[in-house]
Amino acid sequence: MLARMLKNDFLRKKGISVALFIFILLAALLVSSGAKMIMELVGSINYLFSEARTPHFVQMHAGELDREKISRFAKESALVESHQVVEMVNIDGSNIYMGAESEKNSVMDNDFVTQNRDFDFLLNLHSEIIRVGDGEIAVPVYYMQQRNLRLGDKIRIADGTFTKEFTITDFVRDAQMNPSIVHSKRFVVSEGDFQLLRHDTGEREYLIEFRLNDPGAISTFASEYQASDLPKQGPMVDYNLFKMLNALTDGVVAAVIILVSLILNVIAILCIRFTMLATIEEDYREISVMKAIGISQRDIKRLYMMKYVVMAALAGVIGYFLSFIVQRFFMANIMLYMGTAPRTLLQPIVALLFVGVIFAMVVFFCRLVLRRFNHISAVEALRSGNLGETRISRNRLRLSSSRWFSVPVFLGLKDVVQRLKMFRLLLFVFIVSSFIIIVPVNFLNTIQAPSFVSYMGVGQSDIRIDLRHSEDVEERYRELLEYVQADQDAAAYSPLVTSQFKVLNSEGALDNLSVETGDFTIFPLDYTEGAAPNRENELALSYANSKEMGKKTGDTVVLIVNGQKKTMTVSGVYQDVTNGGRTAKALLPYNKEAVLWYVVSLDVKDGVKIADKISEYEQAFYPAKVTDLQGYLHQTLGGTISQLKLVTVLALAIAVCVSILITSLFLKMLISKDNGQIAILRSLGFALSRIKLQYVTMSLTVLVTGILLGTVLSNTVGQMLISGIMSFFGASKIAFIVNPVQAYLLCPVDGHTDDAGKHSIHERIQHIQDDC
Amino acid sequence: MVTILEARDVNKTYVTARNEQSSILKDINLQLDKGEFVSVMGPSGSGKSTLLYSISGMDQVSGGKVYFGGKEITSCSEKALAQLRLTKMGFIFQHIHLLKNLNILDNIVLSAYLAKSSSREAINRRAVGLMKKVGIEELSGHNITQVSGGQLQRAAICRALINNPDILFGDEPTGALNSRSTQEIMEILADINAAGTTILLVTHDVKVAARSERVLFMVDGRLVANYSLGKYAKGKDDLKQRESKLNQWLGEMGF
Repeated sequence: MLARMLKNDFLRKKGISVALFIFILLAALLVSSGAKMIMELVGSINYLFSEARTPHFVQMHAGELDREKISRFAKESALVESHQVVEMVNIDGSNIYMGAESEKNSVMDNDFVTQNRDFDFLLNLHSEIIRVGDGEIAVPVYYMQQRNLRLGDKIRIADGTFTKEFTITDFVRDAQMNPSIVHSKRFVVSEGDFQLLRHDTGEREYLIEFRLNDPGAISTFASEYQASDLPKQGPMVDYNLFKMLNALTDGVVAAVIILVSLILNVIAILCIRFTMLATIEEDYREISVMKAIGISQRDIKRLYMMKYVVMAALAGVIGYFLSFIVQRFFMANIMLYMGTAPRTLLQPIVALLFVGVIFAMVVFFCRLVLRRFNHISAVEALRSGNLGETRISRNRLRLSSSRWFSVPVFLGLKDVVQRLKMFRLLLFVFIVSSFIIIVPVNFLNTIQAPSFVSYMGVGQSDIRIDLRHSEDVEERYRELLEYVQADQDAAAYSPLVTSQFKVLNSEGALDNLSVETGDFTIFPLDYTEGAAPNRENELALSYANSKEMGKKTGDTVVLIVNGQKKTMTVSGVYQDVTNGGRTAKALLPYNKEAVLWYVVSLDVKDGVKIADKISEYEQAFYPAKVTDLQGYLHQTLGGTISQLKLVTVLALAIAVCVSILITSLFLKMLISKDNGQIAILRSLGFALSRIKLQYVTMSLTVLVTGILLGTVLSNTVGQMLISGIMSFFGASKIAFIVNPVQAYLLCPVDGHTDDAGKHSIHERIQHIQDDC
Repeated sequence: MVTILEARDVNKTYVTARNEQSSILKDINLQLDKGEFVSVMGPSGSGKSTLLYSISGMDQVSGGKVYFGGKEITSCSEKALAQLRLTKMGFIFQHIHLLKNLNILDNIVLSAYLAKSSSREAINRRAVGLMKKVGIEELSGHNITQVSGGQLQRAAICRALINNPDILFGDEPTGALNSRSTQEIMEILADINAAGTTILLVTHDVKVAARSERVLFMVDGRLVANYSLGKYAKGKDDLKQRESKLNQWLGEMGF
C-alpha cells in the first residue's frame, strides 16, 4: 500500500518531484566529486612529490656562482640530506616557436634543463623519470594543454643565426613549476643539446636546491641559509609553497564545487519544506480521517517522510555512482598535471560520507517540518485548512483604504506580505542567483579596470618599461633614463628600482625584503592606511609584508643599508598582488649589489599615440618589456581574467536555469494551491489577464526584492568575500568597480526568469478556468 | 415584460473518465423576465447547478444559445464574459467563497473597485449602506474566520449587489445555514427582488422556493414543469400557504 501511495503522490506532483530528485542528485554528485577531488589532489601531490623527490628549499639565482662554497655549506649543515645546483638556460619567449608563432607574448619564463641526477626529477605522463636523446625534448604539460601539442610535434629555437629544432618525445610533470600561476616552466633536453643551447643562446640561471633530513626544519634551514654568504638575490621558495601552489587551482575548484552542492541542497530542502506543507494542507481531510480511524501520528508522519527519504536515498546513491563516471572530467586536470596516486579505499568512503551528510540534511529537515504537525490537531487542520507555513497572516493592508493600486496589483502585493514565509524559498533563490551573477561580474570588472594596478603596487601611467636583471642591466638602465629625459613626447616619468635589502625580523635574524626606491609622488598609489614615504627614514609596506612582519603604520623596521642598521618608520600600507605580494617602498638610494629589476613609468603628452611610443621603446631597448597599463594587466592577470570570464558565464547560466526552474515550479504549485481563490475571483468577473497580473505582481515583487538584496549582499558580503580571498594574494581591500550598464543589463536577464513564471501562470490559470 | 435571460435548446455534455459522453443538460428552453424571482428545484444530480452556471456564462454550453439582455453570450470572449459577470451579474454560493486574505469590507468592495463604477470613497459608502441593510455593518473590519456562516452569507450578498447587477444567481445560498439564518437571508433576497433585481435560485428547500414567483422543476437534465406561485408580497402573503401549495405540486411531480 505504501508503494502505491508513494506512486500516487509522485504522479500527483510529477514536476516538483522530478526537480527535487534532480537537485538532490546533483548535490550528491557534486559533493561526492568535490570530496574525491580533494582526496585525489592530496594523494596526487604527495605521490608526485615523492616520485619527483621534490627539494625542500630552493634559491633561484642569476649570475656568477661559487659551487664549492655551496658544497661546503651543505656539508657543514646538519640539516641537509643532499643538495644540487641545477643549471638552466633561460630563453626569451620571442626565440621559441611551438608552431608558426613565437612565444613573444607569453608571460612564462622558459628554462631549458637536463634531467637531474639525485632529486627534483622531472617526470613524464606515466610519472617516470624522463630520459631524452639528442634532438628530443620534453615539454611542460602546461604547453601541451595550452598549445595543444602532441608527441612528435616540433619546437624550434631561433636566436639570430642560431637555430635548433627539437622533436617532442615526452611531456613534463614538474613538481616545482607545474601550476599555470607559476611563471616559470622547465623543458628537458639531452646533455649534448643543453651544452649547445648554453653556448649559443639564452641566459644562464641556477636553482640551488636542498633536500633536508627533516622536512619540518625548513624554516630553521632558511634562517641558516640567510645567515650564510651564499647567493640570495633571486626568489627563495620552499616545499610548502610548492604544495600550496600545486593545490591552489584545483583546490579552489573543489571548494567551489562543494559550495555549489551545498547551495543546491539548501534549495532542495526549502523546496521539500514547501512541497511537504502544501501536500499536507491538501491532504488535511485525509489526515483527519486517518487520525479518526486510529492510525497513529507516527505512522502518518512516516507516510509523508517516506517519499522524501526514498527520494533522497535514491538520488544520493545515483549521484554517488554517477560521480565515478564524471570523475575523469573533474580530475582530468589533476591527473594530467600530477598523475594518479595508487588507489585506496579511503577516497570512495570519504565521498560516501559526504553524500551521507547530504542525505542526513534532507531527512533532518523533513523531520523538522513534520514536527510542526505535532502541534496542530486534526480539528484545527480541518477548520483552517493550513499548517502554518502557507497560512495567511493578518495584516493591516486594506483594499478599502488603498487609493492608488489597481485591484490585481494590490492583491498581489498583499499576498506577498501576508505569505512572506512561503515566498522565502523564491526570495532565497533570487538572492543567491543575483549574488552568484553579480559577484563574479563585479570582480571581473574590477580586475579588468585600469585602476586595478593600484592593487598591484603600481601607480597609473601610460607606459611601463621593465628591465630584468642581466649582466649589463646597469648600463641599459642608464641609457634608458637618458633616452626618456631627451624624449620630447614624455610628459612625466618616474624611474623606480627594486633591489633587495636585509631586514631584521622579530627573532633578530635577517630576512630579505624587496624594496622599490624612487619618487612615488609622480604616479601616486592608493594606500589602505598611511601614505607614501616622503622622508629617507620612511618605508611603506605591502599588505602581505605588513601582515607577515606584524608591522602597522607608525611602527619601526630595522633595515641594513650599506652594512649599517637603519631604523625606518612604516609610513603606510598598500596592496600588491604581484611578486607574491611581498614588496616595500622607500626613498633610499637603491642597493646596487642586489638589484632585482628596473622600471620606468612614463606618461606621454596629449596627442602622442601610446602604441607608437611602445614600439619605439621596444625597438630601442630590446629585450625590455614595454607595455601600456592594459597590456601590463593583461600579461600579469590574463589567465585569471579568462578563467574568471568562464566562471562568470557558468554562474550566469546556472543562476538563470535554477531561477527559471524554481520560479516555474513554485508558481505552478502556488496556483494549484490557490485554485479555490482563483475560481472565486473568476466568478466575480476577474478576467484571466487580471488574475495573471496579480501573480506577475507577486513574482516581480519577490524578484525585485531578491535582486536588490542580492545586489546589496554582493557589494557588501561579496566584496568582503573577494577581499578575504584576495588578501592571500596581497590585496585586502578590494572595492568593486560596478559597471552600471552590465548591472542594469543583468537584471533583465535574471528577469527573464519571470517569463517562465508568466508562462507557468498562464498555463495553470487556463487549467483552472477549464476546471471551473 | 422585458426578457432579461433566455436559453434556447441548451445542451451540456461531459466526457467521462471512460471517454463516454454524459449528457447533463438536454434541450433546455427557458425565459426569465426582468424583475422575476425564479427557483429551480429537482432531485440531486438532475443538473440544476449546471443549468445555473451554463446560462450565466460561468460555464460553456455544448449546444444551443443563451441570450442576456437580448445579446447572445454563448459566443462571447472570455474577457467579455468576465466583464458581464463583473457589471451585470451577481453570484451567491452555498459555500460562501469569500477571499481568505481580505476582511469583510474588502471582500465586498473588491469587484466594484475592479469595475471602477465610481470613486473608491463612493464605493465604500455604498458597501457600508449594503452592510447596514443586511445587518452586518459592525463587521466591516473583521476577518472572515471571525464571523458566523449566516453573517458571511450576508457579506456575500452585499458583494453580489455592490455593482448593482441586473440579475442575481444563487446556488443553494442557504444550503449551509440554520433555519433562522435561512429565513433572514430569504427575506433579504425578497427585498432585493422587490427593489427590481431579477433572481434565479437553485434550491432543495421548499421554504426558500416559496418566496419565488415561479418554480421550475428539473429531472435528469430536462426542465419538465413550471409552477407559478405569483409575486410574493412581504407582510401580505401567507408564506405557509405558499409552501403547502408548492409542496402539493412537488408531490404531484414525485419529489
